[in-house]
Amino acid sequence: MAFDELYDEFARREAKALAMGGVERLERRRNAGLLNARERIDYLVDSGTWVESGLFATSHIEADRDSTPGDGKITGYGAIDGREAVIVSNDFTVKGASSSVVNMRRIGQMRRTASERGIPMVFLGESSGARIPDNMGAYNMGTILGGDATQYRRLREQPWASAILGMAYGSATWYGCLSDFNVMRKGAVMAVSSERLVSMAIGEKVDGQDLGGWRMHTDTTGLVDLAVDTDEEALDAIKTFLSYLPENQKQLPPEKPVPAGSDDAARTVLDVLPEKRTQVYDVRKIIERIADKDSVFELKARFGRTATTALARLGGQTIGFIANNPMFKAGALDADGCDKSCSFMVLCDSFNIPVIFLVDNPGFVIGIDAERQRAPGKIMNFMNALQLMTVPKLTVMIRKNYGQAYINMGGGKNAAEVAAWPTAEVSFMDPAYAVNVVHGKPGERLEDTDPDFFERKFAEFQLESSVYDIAASYGVQHVIKPEDTRDWLIRMLQVHRNRLSGGLSQHLLSNWPTTF
Amino acid sequence: MARIEIESDVTGTVWKIEVEEGASVTEGQTLIILESMKMEIPVLASDDGKVAEIMVDEEEPVSEGQVVVVLDA
Repeated sequence: MAFDELYDEFARREAKALAMGGVERLERRRNAGLLNARERIDYLVDSGTWVESGLFATSHIEADRDSTPGDGKITGYGAIDGREAVIVSNDFTVKGASSSVVNMRRIGQMRRTASERGIPMVFLGESSGARIPDNMGAYNMGTILGGDATQYRRLREQPWASAILGMAYGSATWYGCLSDFNVMRKGAVMAVSSERLVSMAIGEKVDGQDLGGWRMHTDTTGLVDLAVDTDEEALDAIKTFLSYLPENQKQLPPEKPVPAGSDDAARTVLDVLPEKRTQVYDVRKIIERIADKDSVFELKARFGRTATTALARLGGQTIGFIANNPMFKAGALDADGCDKSCSFMVLCDSFNIPVIFLVDNPGFVIGIDAERQRAPGKIMNFMNALQLMTVPKLTVMIRKNYGQAYINMGGGKNAAEVAAWPTAEVSFMDPAYAVNVVHGKPGERLEDTDPDFFERKFAEFQLESSVYDIAASYGVQHVIKPEDTRDWLIRMLQVHRNRLSGGLSQHLLSNWPTTF
Repeated sequence: MARIEIESDVTGTVWKIEVEEGASVTEGQTLIILESMKMEIPVLASDDGKVAEIMVDEEEPVSEGQVVVVLDA
């Protein structure tokens, strides 16, 4: 037949591309329980929707053409739960998914399509950095790197989600850090450069997990939102994250049906609160009860734990919670808690997600350490973000609410509507401290030196900080019973919808830093 | 098996020790309760594991960042 040869060649080349870095390397991954770049795509996208852009791409270096199917980065389009997504899946079996002339062009095409068409982007990351020797030497530096002035530009026109699924240096790390959501498989490493290079440079052996393992990134740096055990769980987390978000800034987040039983759980919210004001509780249990059943998706759970940040749904609508968590440092916001809150406000403002503040804090963490961690700057970053954020904001004061932190946590006119539980106490300072500041002497505490006097003054200061005092000055517009919180929030979200802009925020935070 | 050092994230005083050395614990379980800022502040297990060592006694002052419990996890 006239065209047989053409069809044979097509089939041969297609098979070669799909074989990636060869049977042996793929086998090794399989034995280690890891998915390969194409299996990850298959797992992520709806069946039959994947179209690869660049199936026949190879290295631009003549001698490498045969050994670089796809050139190490697989790119294309697929639907995730029925919505389009643009996907970059790093193929570590081809030259360690190192960055090259051709695969950077593949990523460029993906970024352009995502931006211009308003489609979420997904990065499945593991990469060894810029390809050597391609990038070596001044001539190649001059022609290859830095050739795209928008390569690392993030305006959050559409959501980006990343999974760090292996050794990530260079490209995979950069895109992970630029993303709105970054999940990591335990055992993977995310760092600027490899443990081998770092060990050579500093002359001592460095362990990959110490350099950029999941503990470091979920506890200390906050660069990773969630750590999971397997590739599949990481891909599921990306699907879950995207399910809360619109396809792009110009759309509203998708609405989902409200699961049965959501209202019943909300009625039990007071059970979480201890009777004594000196005892703590985990605010996540309150969030779980207020939100639509099983809709809470916490971000950065192990980082900056004085604040809890979570996507969730209320009455089917995506919302974001920023809550003090008394379980940690009594809920007093520290520098990490501020950074985490800012990063979450940026996400919500960029994608038209209303924000709900749940407040129970004795103020900001103070002290020499806090100042060294730039607490004043962090507190003002937080305030600036809060006041630039033009999505609907609602505040519920649960218990303690003191000082500047009162303003940061959506107090006063910093929320569209503010409610307080009858358990709320609001003042400039915790009455226990205020009694000592006003009546005590430096170096001694009235609780110890004159307990009777202390108790009397404490009661006096506390009385003036009751919820009905602030309701009387209209500083809060509502005093609500805890069990009515969910209903109140759903109703207020209806009232305060941004009708004049079709529900969209002004996105004033959408070009804020991608990490803090 | 990793040795995991659990630090206090506040300065305060040890009020109650809630676990014994050798006990199995789960992530999020309260190990020690501190008294700080007039509040009862728990120190929680960061992982599932066994309590290898308790580094403090009741009524002992602790500072922020001090290791109070070691877990084998």
